[in-house]
Amino acid sequence: MASGEAPSSFRLNSADRHGRRIVPAVLAAAESVFPRALEYGTNLLGDPAVVANTLEEVAATVSQLVARRDPPGEPAPIRNLPGYVFRAFVRQVNRLKRKELAVLDAAIAGQTLAQRLADPSRQLEMKVLVDECLAQFDFTGRDMCWRRLGGFTWDEIGPLHGLSGHAAEVRFRNAVRAVKAKLAQSRKPLPPTAQTAQNEQLMPAMDGDDDERKS
Amino acid sequence: MTTKEKAEFNDEFSEAEFFGFATSYLSEAFPNPQRVGCPPDSDLQRMAEQPVEARDAAASEHLTCCSLCFNRYMEILGTLRRRKAAGQ
Repeated sequence: MASGEAPSSFRLNSADRHGRRIVPAVLAAAESVFPRALEYGTNLLGDPAVVANTLEEVAATVSQLVARRDPPGEPAPIRNLPGYVFRAFVRQVNRLKRKELAVLDAAIAGQTLAQRLADPSRQLEMKVLVDECLAQFDFTGRDMCWRRLGGFTWDEIGPLHGLSGHAAEVRFRNAVRAVKAKLAQSRKPLPPTAQTAQNEQLMPAMDGDDDERKS
Repeated sequence: MTTKEKAEFNDEFSEAEFFGFATSYLSEAFPNPQRVGCPPDSDLQRMAEQPVEARDAAASEHLTCCSLCFNRYMEILGTLRRRKAAGQ
């Protein structure tokens, strides 16, 4: 196992925070990539302590892998152990960052949704849409709706109706779109000429009422 | 529908909002304490396992106006989903 990294003065623990042991060769490799790992990890995760913990966890995982793939007497399966540890570390940091961003996105989305649903006019709009959808959907559309409400993914819903997950999602969205279009059509205001005609018809009657009241 | 209209629809239609509202609305808005027209639990189970229009259309429609059945069906679907995820 060749080491392409300069020796580092930093010392990691010989076990990660879950108590998994790090074999000496992997520990040396992890310590040699520590400066690079610290720079990369701190940029994304911020806290150097978290970076060190992450590197130790990765080193422990690699140790288990080495133990599985490297029985005594067999040639080493990993030629550049420091490079391997570093790449594994980068993948793990990226995974943690993605998770962090996903949690943040979910929190923001949840807040926005809660705020939108607190608006009474929006609630009424949604109530009308849900009622109309459930009334106008065919059996398949309604079943898709129940399953989605029950936590099924589109990939789980599609095959039940002989569709792919994507096709099921598109079919459902199209059905909602059709209902929305019908609702929009029914809410269209009267054309201006009709409104004027209505007003003209009403005005004399109102004037007449006033005259009657005056007399 | 034009590209512009499609974009407007996607902006306006939020799946999370639609299903979030539908869950809270359907689970409370139709109490039905007398259990009028409620299908037996076995019908809901069967529909959850394998929906068949000719057999399940009435039960599916009933869920739109009975919160008790709607909540029960959501429970059944949740259990079914967990069971499938566990590979049983």
